Amino acid sequence: MSASRENAAEAIVVQNLRKQFDPPKGPVAVDNVSFSIKTGEIFSLLGPNGAGKTTTISILSCLLKPDQGEAWVGGYSVTREAEKVKALIGVVPQEIALYEDLTGRENLFFWGRMYGLRGKELESQVEEALELIGLTDRQRDRLSKYSGGMKRRLNIAAALLHRPRILYLDEPTVGIDPQSRRAILDRVKELNAAGVTVLYTTHYMEEAEELSHRIAIMDQGKMIAIGTKEELVQLVGGRTRIELTLDRHADLLAQRWRTLPGVESASAPEDGRLFLLADEASTLLPRLFETAREAGARITEINLAEPNLEMVFLHLTGRALRD
Amino acid sequence: MLRALHIAWKDVRQTYRNVVALATMFVGPLLLASAIGGAFGTGDNFIIPAVKTAVVNQDLRSQAGTANQNLTAGAMLETALTSTELSGLVEVVKYDTPEKARVAVDKNEVAVAVIIPPGLSAALASAPREVATVEVYKNPGTTVGPAVVTAVVTSVLQEMEGARAAAAASAKLAFSHGLVDPTKLASIAQKTAEAFVQTQHKLTGASLESRGPVTSGAESLKRPNVASQVLVGMMLFFMLFGGSIPARGILDEHRSGTLPRLFTTPTPRAIILGGKYLAVFLVVLIQSAVLVIAGWLLLGADWGPVGPVVALVVVGALVAASQALLTVSFAKTPGQAGAVSSSIFVAMALISGNFFGTANAGETFAKVRRVSPLGWLMEAWGRLLYGGSWADVALPIVAVLGFTLVFFALATFFFRRRYA
Repeated sequence: MSASRENAAEAIVVQNLRKQFDPPKGPVAVDNVSFSIKTGEIFSLLGPNGAGKTTTISILSCLLKPDQGEAWVGGYSVTREAEKVKALIGVVPQEIALYEDLTGRENLFFWGRMYGLRGKELESQVEEALELIGLTDRQRDRLSKYSGGMKRRLNIAAALLHRPRILYLDEPTVGIDPQSRRAILDRVKELNAAGVTVLYTTHYMEEAEELSHRIAIMDQGKMIAIGTKEELVQLVGGRTRIELTLDRHADLLAQRWRTLPGVESASAPEDGRLFLLADEASTLLPRLFETAREAGARITEINLAEPNLEMVFLHLTGRALRD
Repeated sequence: MLRALHIAWKDVRQTYRNVVALATMFVGPLLLASAIGGAFGTGDNFIIPAVKTAVVNQDLRSQAGTANQNLTAGAMLETALTSTELSGLVEVVKYDTPEKARVAVDKNEVAVAVIIPPGLSAALASAPREVATVEVYKNPGTTVGPAVVTAVVTSVLQEMEGARAAAAASAKLAFSHGLVDPTKLASIAQKTAEAFVQTQHKLTGASLESRGPVTSGAESLKRPNVASQVLVGMMLFFMLFGGSIPARGILDEHRSGTLPRLFTTPTPRAIILGGKYLAVFLVVLIQSAVLVIAGWLLLGADWGPVGPVVALVVVGALVAASQALLTVSFAKTPGQAGAVSSSIFVAMALISGNFFGTANAGETFAKVRRVSPLGWLMEAWGRLLYGGSWADVALPIVAVLGFTLVFFALATFFFRRRYA
């Protein structure tokens, strides 16, 4: 497909994207990825670090050129109509991409100008943004004096000044306090309610579950599943998630339990905590207690739960999202 | 284009909010120029300043008994010290009595006192010899000035001694040929002594030579002070560092994510890089303008006519900006850029003579340093300091602009390859 794709229903269309760094021996960051995002949707790319989420967003931001495939944003090709694509999108990068030695206000004015805003429009947008993120009182402080959460909020505000139709957020809640995370998630929902299409990348399952209309799960450059949360969970079938906490020998027991009949997979333990994906919990539980006792360990806590996206990832890859 | 200006203005603000950058750009060159200028006494010149000398001439005509006042030994010594050849070296102040002259030295009003005794002429004319001692009374705290005056006095006394010997020999010769009239013998001796002095003077020519930059119209050269000559070298050297600060900012921004973020805005990459280039140029331009003004106000630098000065400031900023961008363009990290830049800048400054001022560049060195744009700039600023005009700086300006174009082209090639 070489021409622009005008389709009001689809904000983003991605076809067979491939990107390899330092070819021919470098890693394939994105491997034959295809998906589409509907206008007005919150679409999450969920996956662990190195899954290819940021590379995908970089291609859709016209920062990187794909080796193969094509993508259209708002009907414009990211490879041939980059300037038009850039005018439609707002990009919130993973890192705090702001100027530490400028004030919050100066930062917003600068980024607003880079998006082509001028005069009173720029001023009113900056004032509004500062009000929205609660930094009006601190606007004349240099960024170096801001907390991590304040910087994150400003990082997002800088991408919204020109009122983009499509917003990319690349892991926007990494390394911040729960309060700031809550504020960011609420803000994303508000923006979406106002009609902004959102492409959101995260490795936090809870965020993807809470925010997204649809989720694409990525791992090692590949898209391994796509759908609504319910559709994805169905991939796990009628299995049960068993969360366990052990007082010792968690690694040893995880290995043993993976071989038990009825256990589909077991995550790598973290601080003695792990979870299993099991076909039939009621018959499996006595065996778990028995093997733990044989190993000289004690199960200190156990929970049974409905499958979630983490279980889906475990089911599809054999690894936990955190692994 | 407006966005390029916004980017440039943002970068300029960032640079001038950086205390380390400010110290590098302004404090360093001014401090070094002041310190080196101060190390050379009054800092007025590389050439030793005139030595204020008290002269007490007690060798009067009546005592000398000569017909010609100018031919008393005291007068001859005084004349030698006040001669035009020594006018830049010795400044004579006459005193009535030895006591007053010594007090003036003690009070540091003069550096040295030359006290000519009453019987100097008589002693020189007498046979057998009488002794008359010329006293050089000096301030022990100063060494160069009294040494110069002592050398001059010694030279003149030796000259007189020679004249005396010549006069005695000619009188003796006349006497041996039968001339016995004392008046005629004295006249012959006097004429011989005068001829001897004049011949010696022509032969030895007690003049001191000072060297300046290679330039036309040397007879009309100004004598710039030490601080301004040092400041030129330091200014040009530190301008490179001034340029490298915002230039390295490109790599810093790449690493911190602001440059990639800029590339996601609708602002074209060429405009973004153009803004960065402009920032580097503006930072260096402001730096050099401030240093030129500070040099004038604080160090008494007389830069010369405004037009050529402005032209040199602008082309200097252009080439420093392009040089800084080039050295950064092929570095991978800001740290690497810093190390590479520093090495290149120091090497260039050594080749160009930035560390030893605008003067004293030998002919070979003056040619060698033209391989570097800094060398051309040093040459041009040197000419201006010594009273040069547009004609003297035109060729260096063209040469520097040539370097600028090449550097910008190469930097753009490397940056485009990385960011296009």
